[in-house]
Amino acid sequence: MTQETLLQTLRAEFGAAVTGPDPAAPRRLLLDVERARLPEIARRLIALGARYQVGVGSDDRARGLGFGLIHLFAFDKSGFTTAIRTSAPAETPEFPSITPDIPVAGWTEREYRDLLGFRFPGHPKPKKLILADDWPDGIYPLRKEVPYNLVPPAAEDVAYQLDEAPPGTTMVPVGPFHSSLHEPAHFAVYVDGETIKGCDYRGFMTHRGIEKLCQTQVSYNEIPFVAERICGICGSVHATAYAQSVEEAAGLAVPRRAEFIRVLMLELERIHSHLLWLGVAGHLIGFDTVFMHAWRVREPVMWLSERITGNRKTYGMVVLGGVRRDISPETAEDIRSVLKKVEAEVLGLKAAILKDSLIHKRTKGVGHMPKAEAERWSLVGPVARARSIDIDARRDHPYAAYNELSFDVPTADSCDVWGTVLVRLLEVFESVKIMRQVLDKMPAGPILAAPQEALPAFRHGLSMVEAPRGESVHYVITGEENRPERWRVRAPTYTNLQGVPRMLLDNQFADFPIIVGSIDPCYSCTDRAVVVERGTGRERVWDRAELTTLSRAGGK
Amino acid sequence: MWITSKFKQIVLALKPGRVTLGYPLTPRTAPENFRGRPAWDHTKCLGCGGCADHCPARTILLRDVCPEIRVLLYDGSRCTYCGRCAEICPEKAIVMTPDFELATGSRTDLAQSLELFMLTCSRCGRCYDMENRNAVDRLGLRGYRYDNLEARTVLRRTTERFEPDVLAATETFERPTRMEE
Ligand code: SF4
Ligand code: SF4
Repeated sequence: MTQETLLQTLRAEFGAAVTGPDPAAPRRLLLDVERARLPEIARRLIALGARYQVGVGSDDRARGLGFGLIHLFAFDKSGFTTAIRTSAPAETPEFPSITPDIPVAGWTEREYRDLLGFRFPGHPKPKKLILADDWPDGIYPLRKEVPYNLVPPAAEDVAYQLDEAPPGTTMVPVGPFHSSLHEPAHFAVYVDGETIKGCDYRGFMTHRGIEKLCQTQVSYNEIPFVAERICGICGSVHATAYAQSVEEAAGLAVPRRAEFIRVLMLELERIHSHLLWLGVAGHLIGFDTVFMHAWRVREPVMWLSERITGNRKTYGMVVLGGVRRDISPETAEDIRSVLKKVEAEVLGLKAAILKDSLIHKRTKGVGHMPKAEAERWSLVGPVARARSIDIDARRDHPYAAYNELSFDVPTADSCDVWGTVLVRLLEVFESVKIMRQVLDKMPAGPILAAPQEALPAFRHGLSMVEAPRGESVHYVITGEENRPERWRVRAPTYTNLQGVPRMLLDNQFADFPIIVGSIDPCYSCTDRAVVVERGTGRERVWDRAELTTLSRAGGK
Repeated sequence: MWITSKFKQIVLALKPGRVTLGYPLTPRTAPENFRGRPAWDHTKCLGCGGCADHCPARTILLRDVCPEIRVLLYDGSRCTYCGRCAEICPEKAIVMTPDFELATGSRTDLAQSLELFMLTCSRCGRCYDMENRNAVDRLGLRGYRYDNLEARTVLRRTTERFEPDVLAATETFERPTRMEE
């Protein structure tokens, strides 16, 4: 299928309910659809083979357009994407829910229920997703009139109502803080004996409001540095995805050499991330040899990043129109020699662990989710590829310099955690292969073509970047004040985490950490705590020494 | 299979030997080009404000205390060491030093402040006109940014907690909007 045939099909079937494409989105199919027929059209797109990506809600009241909602769909086999846009009047922001048909749209709709005050009649679980439990009703932070730094007064005795335990099961809480989840997240796991029968999730406890901040405070070229800090592991992915979506929207050309350097950084990041995850996965199943040695092998990669970019993790390489630092011939040699060493080490690691029956026992058949289910939940990245879904944004929707590079996309058909381990290990070798090609093929030339004049406003841009843990989607609508009007980030965990309850089903409770860990959820943590005194609302920060004394004293 | 794997794992563990570094007892220097603490050269800075305008963390504050004196304050506690300021500065007044051992109990240890004497216009008495973009202003625009006058003079600053005395000490400090009944 091509964009044209899809457009014809939709026009033939839905007539005037589908209009467009809007020229505001160069290179993409941005269609306006009638609000009432949204579920029907979305269903049809899925039937035509599309994969649901995410929704983008926006507050367009200032332009007299009410509220907007764009649903994004990718046709991976055909290599294009489609966006369907609906709008609702400012007084009644109501959109028919597509969640009954596309379960993975559930979070998107709940997110805009919280942040923009949309209503989704027909949504099966219209509960809070993002906002704190005590956030007052009727204040929707992503609406334009709400200041970015609004701090509503805290309320007491409000708690999230977890789902009722299904009959015959008992609830075991995991989180909000749990030693196996390196991030605050609350799972209510419903068990029958040792077997997991269901699960409810309450997360977003570290929601930082980065989208709002960047839409109101900083400017185009500062956002790559903020974007990089969305994730502590795949920062370069977010910076690149953001830059690419703005470049697409504004039609900025990027020098070819810069695109190769971006690929180089993305692949370097993939190697470090896969090794990090392998170590964590080993640790979660109690196999600390894997943890120690995967991380030992990873360390030279971090040092290499530090030598190339000036920092071991926040590379800070990407700005609009290119990259900030060039790769000198000496650096290229340095990269080659580190790659050689890492490749040999990972081969050794693979040989030493892949045949270990311990790993097999703890991962084979664990977190089993058949391919059809995985497709229904739109899983992305290694978790999808372990379930024989052959998708990879680098190959299906090539960006930067990937169209000139050859590599394989490893898949597995075991549909479990074992498959994920295999896929991620094999991908390390593919990354090494890609980086070598980049060093060989990289053309000479400039590395930055900085924008010279104001970027056009209200243009749409989309970028998909294959992060180590799956596809990241960034959607940008350019704005007037030298910053995006709307910037939507969808990290891979956003979709994969929604599939976790299904992955957990009928597994043993002891396998909970490795199943959740297998999707490589994004971590964020802090080692200080703020204690707020009830009544007075006075705050006091406990430092590490005090916390240590307190915990050693048994909390008395 | 199980037992051969265990042998391979023993080799895997023994071959690299001890890899733990002696740090901090053995000092470790950062590589060339490392992005550590930024340092300002007072003699080179011309007070254009480019660094403050482009700092993604908004941790460089500019304030004109009187027409001739402009204060530049760098609050290192929120710095992300991105190096954007050093890249933007037209006078190369900022260098990213290799200093990375910056842990401290007091955030003022990380602050740097510059008092800059500005030339005033003999006609209007101000440092330079900020609304009509002049040569100095254009320098601040390197790297692409245009802002209005207001956003420029009132550079936002966020503290962890709301402290009334901090607010009292600085007029350009914006307090978070609190919704009291
Ligand atoms: S290094 Fe980056 S965050 Fe730090 S002061 Fe400079 S621009 Fe701001
Ligand atoms: S950009 Fe350079 S010259 Fe301008 S205020 Fe900052 S340090 Fe001074």
